[in-house]
Amino acid sequence: METLINRLLKYPKLVLMVTLVITIAFFVVMRKNSRMETNLDKYMPQNHPAFVYSDQAEKWFDIKDGIIIAIQNPDGIYNSRTLQKVKDLTKKLQKMPEIEKKDVTSLYTADNIIGTEDGLDVRAFYKRVPKSPEKLQALREKVRSNEMVFGRLVSTDETVTVIIARIGDDVFSQEFYHRILDLAKQFEGPEKIYVAGRPIVEGTLAYLGPRDMRRMVPIVIFVIIVVLYLVLRNWKSTFFTLLVVLFSTIWAFGLMAALKIPIYSVSTMIPVMLIAIGVAYGVHLYNHLYLHLREHPETDRREAVRDMIHQMWKPVMMAAVTTAIGFISLLTSQVYPIKYFGLFTAFGVMVAFVLSVLLIPAGALAFGLPRPKRKKTEDEEATLTGTEDTFAYRFADRIVRHRGLTVFISLVVVGLSLYGMTKVWINSSFLDKFGKNSDIVRTDRFINEHFGGTSTLNVILEGKAPDTFKQPDVLRELVKMQDDVVESLPVVGNAFSLGDYLKRMNKVMHADSEKYDCIPNSSDLIAQYLLLYEMSGDPDNLWHVVTEDYKKANVTFQLKSDNSKALKSAIAVVEKYRPDFEKMGVQLNYAGSGYKALVFTDLILEGQISSLLLSLVIVIVLLSIMFKKVTIGLIGSVPIVITTLISFGVMGLLGIPLSTTTALISSIAIGIGIDYAVHFIERYRVYAGRTHDKLRTSHLTMHHSGRAILFNAVVVIAGFLVLLFSVFPPNRSLGALVSLNMFTSFVGTVTIMFAILYTSNIYFRRRDLAKTEGKESA
Amino acid sequence: MRRRNWYLMLILALMAIPFAGKAQEKLTALEIMRKVYNRPTGKEMEATLTMTLINANGDKRVRVIKQFIKDFGNVEKKIMFFVSPADVRNTSFMNWSYDDPNKDDDQWIYLPALKKVKRISSDSKGDYFMGSDFTYDDLGDRKPEEDNHKILREETLEGEPCYVIESIPKDEDYMYSRTVTWVVKGKWYGLKRDFYDEDGEYLKTLKINKVENIKGYWIITQTEMHNVQKNHTTRMTLTDVKIDSGIKNSMFTERMMRRGLR
Repeated sequence: METLINRLLKYPKLVLMVTLVITIAFFVVMRKNSRMETNLDKYMPQNHPAFVYSDQAEKWFDIKDGIIIAIQNPDGIYNSRTLQKVKDLTKKLQKMPEIEKKDVTSLYTADNIIGTEDGLDVRAFYKRVPKSPEKLQALREKVRSNEMVFGRLVSTDETVTVIIARIGDDVFSQEFYHRILDLAKQFEGPEKIYVAGRPIVEGTLAYLGPRDMRRMVPIVIFVIIVVLYLVLRNWKSTFFTLLVVLFSTIWAFGLMAALKIPIYSVSTMIPVMLIAIGVAYGVHLYNHLYLHLREHPETDRREAVRDMIHQMWKPVMMAAVTTAIGFISLLTSQVYPIKYFGLFTAFGVMVAFVLSVLLIPAGALAFGLPRPKRKKTEDEEATLTGTEDTFAYRFADRIVRHRGLTVFISLVVVGLSLYGMTKVWINSSFLDKFGKNSDIVRTDRFINEHFGGTSTLNVILEGKAPDTFKQPDVLRELVKMQDDVVESLPVVGNAFSLGDYLKRMNKVMHADSEKYDCIPNSSDLIAQYLLLYEMSGDPDNLWHVVTEDYKKANVTFQLKSDNSKALKSAIAVVEKYRPDFEKMGVQLNYAGSGYKALVFTDLILEGQISSLLLSLVIVIVLLSIMFKKVTIGLIGSVPIVITTLISFGVMGLLGIPLSTTTALISSIAIGIGIDYAVHFIERYRVYAGRTHDKLRTSHLTMHHSGRAILFNAVVVIAGFLVLLFSVFPPNRSLGALVSLNMFTSFVGTVTIMFAILYTSNIYFRRRDLAKTEGKESA
Repeated sequence: MRRRNWYLMLILALMAIPFAGKAQEKLTALEIMRKVYNRPTGKEMEATLTMTLINANGDKRVRVIKQFIKDFGNVEKKIMFFVSPADVRNTSFMNWSYDDPNKDDDQWIYLPALKKVKRISSDSKGDYFMGSDFTYDDLGDRKPEEDNHKILREETLEGEPCYVIESIPKDEDYMYSRTVTWVVKGKWYGLKRDFYDEDGEYLKTLKINKVENIKGYWIITQTEMHNVQKNHTTRMTLTDVKIDSGIKNSMFTERMMRRGLR
């Protein structure tokens, strides 16, 4: 490998040219083929049983997510202007090509079935907008007396009414999203218009995501440039280091585009990873080069570069390979975007490694060696000459002296983290990704205050035979469950099922008597009511709550929150009824986008745990092979284990939920954290061989590698802290958590891992040890 | 269940009639549609209607209804009883439809499990007939004068020479923006009709599958409506058709609704 690199470096300009051409090729492919995937259903594994079932149920009952447009008039909605707006907006929505006419529900489209003394009255609430006060009052009365509309389409304080437009999974686009918002805006004033619902939340997410990245990237690059310049003190070095990062990112995205793999929202994290990792390689190489130049000021370019390659290609490669493996372990995830994220970040890391060992030397050969501006240099010059009282030496001494304490503190921290981990919770919420005061969250809160809820959970009941859902006992159980969930959980605002239709029909057929607001006793009567509803109302409405053979039913719960705790609390209550339903031969299942998101997040956690364990094993094996000792493999895994435990522990203790983005952190910790262990152990091994003196080795390693690691950590942390400026709270926690991980990896390496390494006496013969013990006690 | 006419048999003015004139004179589109609308089909009819609803998954639901219709001059009365499915047997409906355009239909229903007759009032013309793909208007209630008609062309469909007539409602808010009907020349029944929804999109097609001559009247005994947008089909078949068989006036009363089929 080294020979190959050196042979290639005979033609530095050619290397630069070829790299540039490949990069341009990838760039062109990227520009031409890149596609953002905004349909969140595409993120989920399509053949998982829960998803297969949910997709089926969505077909049976035509379950779709709804866009909710709320029209608020503080003076009440019963005036002709507001009602005209409801009518016009309903019609405009029905005309949109993405929306099917029947999928728009509002006070304008709803049918009102009322019981009268001698019969039944089926009418629209209004067709022509009522003008006279009497007619407006009559409309108000009609709405008040219809519990299928009051509180559902019109708020109980009569100041807000909603229009619900249900849309299919596949029709949502950025353009449609903006058209809906523009349309709503046209109707603004003096009424206030609010737009909410899951499609809007997802749309906003898909819209803000890339916008956030566009805002972040320049800041990231700026911070990196500044930090790099401060570290390298030379523009040429800064330029080539950045070039490596930029090129590796383009290659990764170019390859994705060439393989026709769309860009998912997590893929936008790839550049952030590559920046943090790629920069570190450049820093290591230049550091070595500077050191060499300082020791041998008269070396010519070719020789300096040859030495850099000779000394550095191996540790950098080891670091790159372990990092890449760390990311590849994400392939065990069942979630495709995470698999792709892992795979292409790994590819990018390897590209960054190859380009680092080619471009940086080629640059030096072609454009001259970088000569850093001198700072105070005594410090550096003391490195190998061995001035005893540097901070690193004293630090190493202290750790050696307080090995017991180090281990004790580590154990306490591990214990605390384990406790914290028990508190980690998963959140599949989309809304929680936004700030508490963002427009979308406030709109959602507003609608939740006035209506049942913006999020839904579908409970699917499946009987063995047709007409199961004409049986009074089955229907009563259904209503009992429905009422229990709504009454026992404040977060559940409303529910809707076949039971509501039957209660309504029963009441209406008994002259609107409250006494009959219940499920009738006879299955024949139920069948006759349903027939009557089919003939008088819109039968399509019925097929949202029951299948035509009355074998399956769908109970829709409206929740005021889409977070996992809310969904799980509702599911817990529903589950209490499973045994009773099973006795009746009725199976219970769940469906809907909220439920899918919940299962999806569970899958992510599962995937994280398996990928963590896998990568830990791989890393131990890899280190054991690289250092030819199993003990080293185990010692080298110490920082990762500690880092991961602390990471999850802190998440638990601070109540940061595990989500798609935060879940990625564990593998990042493995990938980058391992670098520290590799560099430290490698140096320790080299110095042990050179000095045969344990304490001296510790000093030198701490001074050299420990400092380099600190350096590395500072660069990475600076990079990730940029994420604190993200508009998405989860991205902010991601930035903070990765910084934390880098910090704990660094601390874990130079304290507890070092303490264990020291105690293990590895790389020293008994003769050497006797010498050390004398010094230690002195 | 609102609205008028259960003109299953007169289906849609698409109704037949045999001895239509040899009229060679040029007819206007409106005249053609009037001929279709005014085809005589007898004063009374008694028949068994089998309605098959087929949804997008191909699932079928079958309803069998016994129906009686009688024209009293200024009012047409009909009564229908469900025969099956079993759980709705003897559920009955009665409808009185008046010639006076200002007078709404009178409608009643009787649910045997409730043992009560209820009046139903309703305002929607575009309602679907018993959850089928037919609206009451589709079943023949719509008068030719409510639309503007135009002859698009003349062509042969299923071996029959037809006028192809486009009808556009005068009322802009009507549920269809236009319909296109293939009217058989000389026989004056519609063989096929395409419906376009409010937005001008193709919605559904009505086809006549079977026409029988009963007592000298051409009666359409099997039709099929396919809703393209929902991929839903309704097939209606008339059997045991009796024309002018002497239905008693007392058939059309609440008492008969309660009594049900014997």
